[in-house]
Amino acid sequence: MPVGVDLYLKRQSWLHRVDPRVKLLFVGATIMILLVIKNVFFMSAALLLVHVIHWSAKMPRGKFLFIWKTLLPIAILISTLWVLFYPTGPPILEIWVIRITVLSLAQGGVLALRITTMAFVVFAWLYTTDHPAVVRSLVKLKVPYEWGLTLALALRYIPTFQGMYGMISEAQQARGLNISQGKGFRRVRALMPIFVAMVISAMRASDQLANALQARAFGASGVERTYLHDIHFRPLDWAYTVFILGVTFLILYMNLRLGFGKHPINLI
Amino acid sequence: MESNGLAHEVGDMCLEATDLWFAYEEGPSVLKGISLEIKVGDFVALIGQNGSGKTTLAKHFNGLLRPSRGRVLLYGEDNREHPVAHLARTVGYVFQNPDHQIFSATTREEIAFGPRNIGLEESEVQQRTEQALEYFDLTAYADHQPAILGFGLRRKVSIAAVYAMRTDVLILDEPTAGLDWKSTHELMQRIVALHRTGHTIILITHDMRLVAEYAPRCLVLRDGNILADDDTREIFRQADLLRETHIELPQICRLARRLEPFNPGRNILTVAEFLEGYGNLAERMR
Repeated sequence: MPVGVDLYLKRQSWLHRVDPRVKLLFVGATIMILLVIKNVFFMSAALLLVHVIHWSAKMPRGKFLFIWKTLLPIAILISTLWVLFYPTGPPILEIWVIRITVLSLAQGGVLALRITTMAFVVFAWLYTTDHPAVVRSLVKLKVPYEWGLTLALALRYIPTFQGMYGMISEAQQARGLNISQGKGFRRVRALMPIFVAMVISAMRASDQLANALQARAFGASGVERTYLHDIHFRPLDWAYTVFILGVTFLILYMNLRLGFGKHPINLI
Repeated sequence: MESNGLAHEVGDMCLEATDLWFAYEEGPSVLKGISLEIKVGDFVALIGQNGSGKTTLAKHFNGLLRPSRGRVLLYGEDNREHPVAHLARTVGYVFQNPDHQIFSATTREEIAFGPRNIGLEESEVQQRTEQALEYFDLTAYADHQPAILGFGLRRKVSIAAVYAMRTDVLILDEPTAGLDWKSTHELMQRIVALHRTGHTIILITHDMRLVAEYAPRCLVLRDGNILADDDTREIFRQADLLRETHIELPQICRLARRLEPFNPGRNILTVAEFLEGYGNLAERMR
């Protein structure tokens, strides 16, 4: 299994050129809006919009599919559990103790769409911002360099651990482990040899990384870092910032004052 | 394909790849139309530069990877017809990094994992586990946590764990990487012993000394193609091929080449052969 080194994809797109701080603001503002709004149509529109953003940033189809493949089972599970266990409003279908209502379907849909949209927003940031730019943007926002690097490293290791999972899974299957056996708890038990080996390998990797960082004077006191390629706000970045803040305040105002997006089905 | 007891005769066809193509998701082709035959009892080294397709090719032998085009037959049966867990009864694969397989609380449990997976009786599992512990000098560590053993021991545990499954075919991906000379030698002696009992050994390595000393047959890969498939002695004789694939001969072979004018016609691979051929050279030069 090929192991990706980074989530970042080098492309020439408008989103790649946006200052990483603006992208961070976009991620924060969008997550806030997605948490406040509870309307299924708004969520669908947001998911569509974030797809357009990915598409316009020249993301390959495989990356869309990767996010969908990862999130779809979780989204389906969350919405199904909600629909089954929180039935509110008049039922449209009743089977034994199960009551399906329009409202619970919409609420379940909101939860599934929310988590999917959030993931797409975060990946829009990670796919278009390289590792040094993530650290520099956090440092510019007065986050200590060590914290910035730690966060960037954690993000950087997502594909590494994904690759590690693939390798470990192959190694255990080569010893006769049938990973598709059983369902539910039995399936989880069948996967334990992979999970335990993952934890051991991850701990070993983090220990080695910590040693490697320390051996290269990471965290040395009294050292002020300089940057060869610094980041600068362009006029267009200011415009994006004003736009993001404006839209966020508008949506939050409409939500608080006019009840916009508070109902799962009706927008107002 | 139930062949734990080495049901096939040495010389029978074991693995057969025909026009094998493979590409990872969205990537270029890693294997480009490979065809090869490996017979029961062969000891084959897969050599080539990093990225030449050695590991990718080997993972087709136990079904971890499925060809994009072409096919792999194991004892005449198409690998695609069987899940990996089933093929694992016949083809054992020792991975490059032992940490990718170690997960159990004790070395004994780690070794017993494979035999249990292939559905053996518990008494048979225990017997094989104890035998593997003894064979690899791991009895003293049987109740230790394998994850915290030193690298050399973890490597041994990973090989013992596959050895206990008693597969007909054993694929070893860089088994001696990171091992000192003594451990390398001991490990290779055990692998040679397995080979002598009729097991088919496929060795992936960059260590040309190992290839020269242990593997009678050699497959040279470059860019997903087989560049050469011949006796190791024959391959090591082809200077152009070695230069093309950036393969550096072991020091003893290079020294023997330099000394060939004094003892022509010898294509020496190992130290033992060198001593045999040039042992009295100093006397003769006098």
